[in-house]
Amino acid sequence: MILRLWPRSLAARTAFVLLVGLILVQVAGLAIHAMDRIDVQRLGQARTLALRVVGLYRTVVLTTPEQREEVLAELHRGPGLTAELSKDPPVTDLPPMPLPVQRLFRVSMNFVGVPGPQRWRDLQFLGGPDMGRVVIGLRLPDGEWLNVTAALEPVRPWHSPTFLAAFLLMTVVAAGLTLWAVRRLTAPVRTLAAAAEALGRDVNAPPLPEDGPLEVAIAAAAFNTMAARIRRFVQDRTDLLTAIGHDLRTPITRLKLRAEFIEDDEQRGKVLADLEELEAMVSATLVFGRDARTGEAVSALDMAELLRTLLDEAGDARPEAAPNLAYEGPPHWTVRARPLALKRALTNLIANAVMYGGGARVRLVPPVSVGAAGAMLTIEIEDDGPGIPPGDLERVFEPFHRGEPSRNRETGGVGLGLPIARNIMRAHGGDVVLANRPTGGAKATVTLPA
Amino acid sequence: MDQPPHIMVVDDDREIRDLLARFLEKHRIRVTAVRDSREARRAWANGHYQLVVLDLMLPGEPGLDFARWLRSQSDVPIVMLTAMGEETDRIIGLELGADDYVPKPFNPRELLARIRAVLRRVGDSIGPRHENGSRPLRFAGWTLEPARRRLLNPDGVEVALTGGEYDLLVALVERANRVLTRDMLLDLLRGRQAGPFDRAIDVAISRLRRKLEDDGRNAQLIKTVRGGGYVLAATVEHA
Repeated sequence: MILRLWPRSLAARTAFVLLVGLILVQVAGLAIHAMDRIDVQRLGQARTLALRVVGLYRTVVLTTPEQREEVLAELHRGPGLTAELSKDPPVTDLPPMPLPVQRLFRVSMNFVGVPGPQRWRDLQFLGGPDMGRVVIGLRLPDGEWLNVTAALEPVRPWHSPTFLAAFLLMTVVAAGLTLWAVRRLTAPVRTLAAAAEALGRDVNAPPLPEDGPLEVAIAAAAFNTMAARIRRFVQDRTDLLTAIGHDLRTPITRLKLRAEFIEDDEQRGKVLADLEELEAMVSATLVFGRDARTGEAVSALDMAELLRTLLDEAGDARPEAAPNLAYEGPPHWTVRARPLALKRALTNLIANAVMYGGGARVRLVPPVSVGAAGAMLTIEIEDDGPGIPPGDLERVFEPFHRGEPSRNRETGGVGLGLPIARNIMRAHGGDVVLANRPTGGAKATVTLPA
Repeated sequence: MDQPPHIMVVDDDREIRDLLARFLEKHRIRVTAVRDSREARRAWANGHYQLVVLDLMLPGEPGLDFARWLRSQSDVPIVMLTAMGEETDRIIGLELGADDYVPKPFNPRELLARIRAVLRRVGDSIGPRHENGSRPLRFAGWTLEPARRRLLNPDGVEVALTGGEYDLLVALVERANRVLTRDMLLDLLRGRQAGPFDRAIDVAISRLRRKLEDDGRNAQLIKTVRGGGYVLAATVEHA
């Protein structure tokens, strides 16, 4: 139960703690206020009553004993107050009054001057505000008792409705301010999380603004430094790859030229085929190195036509696979993207399907709600090959990862096709994921902001 | 072509220079090979060349600067050797008026085919060529951008083309309203596609028609000419 009440988000937790604290403080404040009011009201009651009792006493003591009953009966006593003369101290079922309360009464009674000879000779206090009734007995100098019984109105700490309304308003305003401040103060944490997520997807994600409160600015700066170091690290590695790739181009060009002078046709063909493979590896490496900082401009292109063209090219290159290449979807669909990069990514995916599955079924699924924010275009590329071991579905996107070695030796490739495709799609704000179809074969699902 | 064409090769790698010269000479092309822009200027002053093969990555004066200078001197066709995937170099080069480009490491036979294609195109064409070299071409609402090798539909949306389709379309657009025989088109596609070339042309033409939204049964844009050939029936203007 406690766990269920404990919220998960930092903002909610902070707000929860602050609001619980606020409520406790307000309750305590309210209690202090109420107790104070009770004290004040009791003091007032005691004083009023004491003055009235002493007033009665004065009148009675200054009257001759014979006339006392009569005078007492005629005196205006006020509501809830009875007074009687008796030979005995008051007898009731009420317990004696607690001493602190008695003191309130005594102090007030002493305010009223009563000449020394006429002063009361004894006092008895019974009951108290808690019982709603007080009995005060005063012994006259001649031994008679004046016993006054008074009903005390219950004290009303919540007397003022405006106070309660103001108090409520204050609480609501404080709670609102708390929620607002917490949301504001924890917003940078959400920004940081979003930035970390973006960095994970694209190492060239824009840096965080280094402003706001000091701690937030420091965290943002630290995050930006970390991102820069990661970028630097990735950059160094890709630069290394790119440098090697660049340097390999000259020897490959020379070898291709030399191969043209080999007399033996069969040998020449083989050498050239090897060189093609080598070149493909180098160019994949270069593309992989370059995609991290692609500078191509975004423009409008017909995605449907691009997919059909890529299938045509795949069919031209591998005529035996041509019957297994199919496009399904609208005849035209315009997207905004980097055309060459997009073409490369989709070429890689279609080539994979053709390589492992001997064909590709490409389906273009327009977004459900066109134009809505976050609407995604989906492209599914299916093949009827052996599929991918479930444990490898993500690992195949790691650079230079290669599936089963024996399979790759004959099909070639460096293990960069899928990483390149994913880099490109993520740089577009989309993604590529692979899955095995229940009916066999693999399916690559490409998403792209529509 | 009784006289073998004479071309200049500018490349800073001596081995590539020598091997390329030997390879091209084996295929009946006379070659003068030089290592940088300075030697190239000297060779240009002392000889007559039908074409220049220019590596853009040169020590000293960059290849693009030399290409610009060369263009200011003459209309000689230029085939650039570009670093693989250096799009900006390629686009600038084509905008400067280079006629074609081959990414390095190049396939010697492909380079040979490109050189021959460019020489043939130059031989074919009447009138000045470079004034409009790589400026966009407009026809029937469509735009062909040679510098970026792309086709834009009337809404400005890029419509993808295969390499062969692009070459074919350029040939048709450059010679709009003139019949191109199958043999001429075959030359363009040679080296690009495997399989029977004849069929490849028919396939490429039908794909082009589909992309240009030209009804295959009743084609209005790319018309079939009886006796084996095609013609682009449209007014082409330089944008």
